[in-house]
Amino acid sequence: MHADVAAPDEVLLEPVIWSLFSVGGFITAFLLPVTLFLLFFAAPFHLWPFDPAAYGTFLAHWKEPLVRLFFFVLIGGSLFHGTHRLKFMLMDAGFKGPAAEALLDLILNGVAIFGSLGALYYALRGWLF
Amino acid sequence: MTVHEYPARRRRVWWLRNRRYLAFQLREAGGVVCALYGLILLNMLIQLRDGESAYAAFLNLLRTPPMLYLNVVLFALVLWHALTWFMLIGKAQPIQFTREPLPWKVVFGINVLLWIGVSGAVVYLIFGGM
Repeated sequence: MHADVAAPDEVLLEPVIWSLFSVGGFITAFLLPVTLFLLFFAAPFHLWPFDPAAYGTFLAHWKEPLVRLFFFVLIGGSLFHGTHRLKFMLMDAGFKGPAAEALLDLILNGVAIFGSLGALYYALRGWLF
Repeated sequence: MTVHEYPARRRRVWWLRNRRYLAFQLREAGGVVCALYGLILLNMLIQLRDGESAYAAFLNLLRTPPMLYLNVVLFALVLWHALTWFMLIGKAQPIQFTREPLPWKVVFGINVLLWIGVSGAVVYLIFGGM
């Protein structure tokens, strides 16, 4: 095989998807637990002096570019990581064969890509446009 | 010569056979739950754009007792996913600063310390401290 011959699509896509899965694994492992704790559990269980998810509090933080970047990275990373895991869980449960795999790729990668683009849009909206 | 193909047969609930398989499958489920929370956080940003009443309704829904306790179960899976991710880093990609690769338990310990430090940084830099 010559180096200049175009490789099949899956050879080009596979490493990209696996890389995003791996980066997403680090992002979710390090950043998601503390974020979920502060937003969804700290106030209802009275474990924090104030409610970090309260509208006024969260909106004030949301004006900072670092916070917007954080949520874009967190949402994108968790989507790419989780959808790739779901693909293999569904294949393990019997969704096998080229057609089933192509359908899973289309739906799950679509969720990850459009979800990440959505997070990027909200991160930039009100800041750059 | 005729070649026969024998597909590997495995029960769909193979992961209930022993605790190690179950722990593995719970980690996988935890990864999927991470994506679910990604969508929930995205929805939170959408409600934030829609104004205070939409945002408050979304937050109140998440804080009703059934949703809150469902969230606790899902959060436990996210924690399990994080801990097992730190465990596998030292096994999947042995970090070799020394002649011999570091034992996975040492790598796990370093990652847990890093996790605590990063979580503290998130509290102060993203959520404005205590």
